[in-house]
Amino acid sequence: MSYDKNCAEKPKRLCANCGREFCKGLWRENPIFIQVLGMCPALAVTTKALFGFSMGMATTFVLVCSSLVISSIRKLIPPQVRIATFTVIIATFVTCADYFLKANFYTISKELGPYVPLIVVNCIILGRQEVFTSKHGVFNSFIDALGMGVGFSAVLVLLGSIRELFGFGTIFYYQILGEGFEHWVVMALPAGAFITLGFLVGIFNWINNKRKK
Amino acid sequence: MRNTIKMISVLTIVGLVSGAALVFMYKYAKPLIIVNQKNEMKQAIFKIFPKAKKYRKETIKDETIFKVNDKDGKFLGYAFLAEGYGYQGTIKMMVGIKKDLETLVGIEILESQETPGLGQEITEEQFKSQFKGLKTSPPIIYVKNKKPTKPNEIEAITGATISSRSVVGILNEKIKTIKDELR
Amino acid sequence: MENNFYISQGPHQFTNTSVQKMMKDVIIALAPAIFASIYFFRIRAVILFAVSIVSCMAFEAIFQLFMKRKITILDGSAVVTGMLLAMIMPPSLPIWTCIVGSLVAIGLAKQLFGGLGANIFNPALLGRAFLMAAFPTYMTRWNMPFTLDAVTGATPLGLVKFTQNLNINYQELFIGRVSGSLGETSALALIIGGIYLLIKKTIDWCIPLAYIATVFVISSVTNMIAPDTYAGAVFHVLAGGLLIGAIFMATDPVTSPVTKTGRWVFGIGCGLITMIIRLWGGLPEGVMYSILLMNAVTPLLNRLTRPRRYGT
Repeated sequence: MSYDKNCAEKPKRLCANCGREFCKGLWRENPIFIQVLGMCPALAVTTKALFGFSMGMATTFVLVCSSLVISSIRKLIPPQVRIATFTVIIATFVTCADYFLKANFYTISKELGPYVPLIVVNCIILGRQEVFTSKHGVFNSFIDALGMGVGFSAVLVLLGSIRELFGFGTIFYYQILGEGFEHWVVMALPAGAFITLGFLVGIFNWINNKRKK
Repeated sequence: MRNTIKMISVLTIVGLVSGAALVFMYKYAKPLIIVNQKNEMKQAIFKIFPKAKKYRKETIKDETIFKVNDKDGKFLGYAFLAEGYGYQGTIKMMVGIKKDLETLVGIEILESQETPGLGQEITEEQFKSQFKGLKTSPPIIYVKNKKPTKPNEIEAITGATISSRSVVGILNEKIKTIKDELR
Repeated sequence: MENNFYISQGPHQFTNTSVQKMMKDVIIALAPAIFASIYFFRIRAVILFAVSIVSCMAFEAIFQLFMKRKITILDGSAVVTGMLLAMIMPPSLPIWTCIVGSLVAIGLAKQLFGGLGANIFNPALLGRAFLMAAFPTYMTRWNMPFTLDAVTGATPLGLVKFTQNLNINYQELFIGRVSGSLGETSALALIIGGIYLLIKKTIDWCIPLAYIATVFVISSVTNMIAPDTYAGAVFHVLAGGLLIGAIFMATDPVTSPVTKTGRWVFGIGCGLITMIIRLWGGLPEGVMYSILLMNAVTPLLNRLTRPRRYGT
């Protein structure tokens, strides 16, 4: 807990910390590229950029809310039942997100199908609670969850945009490639998701290796 | 012992709070979801029967059908739901049929999980509009790679024969049951 | 210290096989089939062969330049990949699609895995599999020979599978006057090439024999059980891509097992998967997927059938 104390004592340090906690989710510890978590939604719902975006937002919502709740009651939870407690809290927020989408964004929720309820078993969320939230204060946990959520969403949108561009010639339903463009059916299929993700991870590692040198 | 009590009490409290939160969420969402589902069906029916103004839900034997009327109350035809297996998952559609039960007015796909960009073309106007005015007897058949010539033929989507076949199969089966029920 | 010694494990036996020499033999063996396809599909075949070979060589050079490897486009392996890729394309394929196929074959299947000798899958087949998934409408549109884009006609396998048309003209099937991919129609030309390769010992006879025999046995049995639904054994051996697959693709030394037992298992596996897809699958032809699937288990076969070390 010395971490927290440091933050409270030195406001300047707090800002720097906060930036670091946020940015690590975007790049250094990116949930998809580095931790390779949450593959199921990343591959299944990214046929179009909008679906990737909605999925990312729903996951970020669940991640941030459960991080807030769990970090604030973390000292009350007996370690033996922590996983069960985490799961109950996460499931509650997932159900809320699912109902909300069904009530207000009916068509999107139909497209996402079972993958919104399946956020419960998304490793990113439970993983963050175990690794970070259960050991850190409310504020840091919030920043961490937000960073992870944004990093996850960004990759999902990128993946969805690439697949939508090749598979349908559009990005966010906005026509990019002309009418004469022949749709690559494979990009709308699971195989296209694997190929695109493979290329993205490869490029990501290539950039990282270059930077290390 | 104290630890056990703590465990039980924490889980109970978390469970109770979660349950309460979900009840509120459910109360808020349920009416909206029902409205959404009804709207979806309403839009589908009105799209099939452009002149329709209102419809009435009726249950004849085991089948739920919608009797569709225009603004003067004139009876236009029947609409009903048809459901079955496609290439990857369930295909659910709304079917409109004239009152003589021999001519299709049109179909609208409500739910489908076919291959995007291939089988999913069944939701495109180009495919759906083929069913407008189609004769229902003899049963509808599909042809491949050529223009339909008979009044009960449609052209299958190139590369997605199974999805096209499923739609035709689901339609034929449901129309047969509806005909049997209504006569 | 400079490394002046070349250290390798025994046995130290010298053969004068080289990549160039093998590829030269394969090109000679492919020649009859290429001439046959140019005869049957005329200008379309010429264009597709030229585009495919040139783009395969170009992509090989570009990727090797980019990855700072030695440029080896003159060893002939890119030419062979280009030829094989064109041979398994439908004649009506648009040219740019063929270039995309070459990119996938050379870039994705070969160079990204580490170049010649390190690829897991046969490059030409992976190129075709990608095109099949990306542009299924182009890849399933077939032309009759001599008609140049005018008349479409289902392949013999498609006819048997989807219309139960069992009137087979075996003579035309043998010579190649049927619709199908550019280089797969003429069984005669492919067999001539196969015999040449066997005489030159460029390919091992195990895989083709095991593959074709498995197909022959399964199709004879199914034909005996239900002669009205399933075509005979000779048809299944001559039709579709079986011969080109068995002779030129399954025998690829990089992607097939090195041990004798492994090769038998490989050939039988290919035959089994081909027949399962042909008889009960959703597609009329299964040669491509069968070889790709067996390529995937090749490392496993090599490990399971590794011979005992001498003296243990």
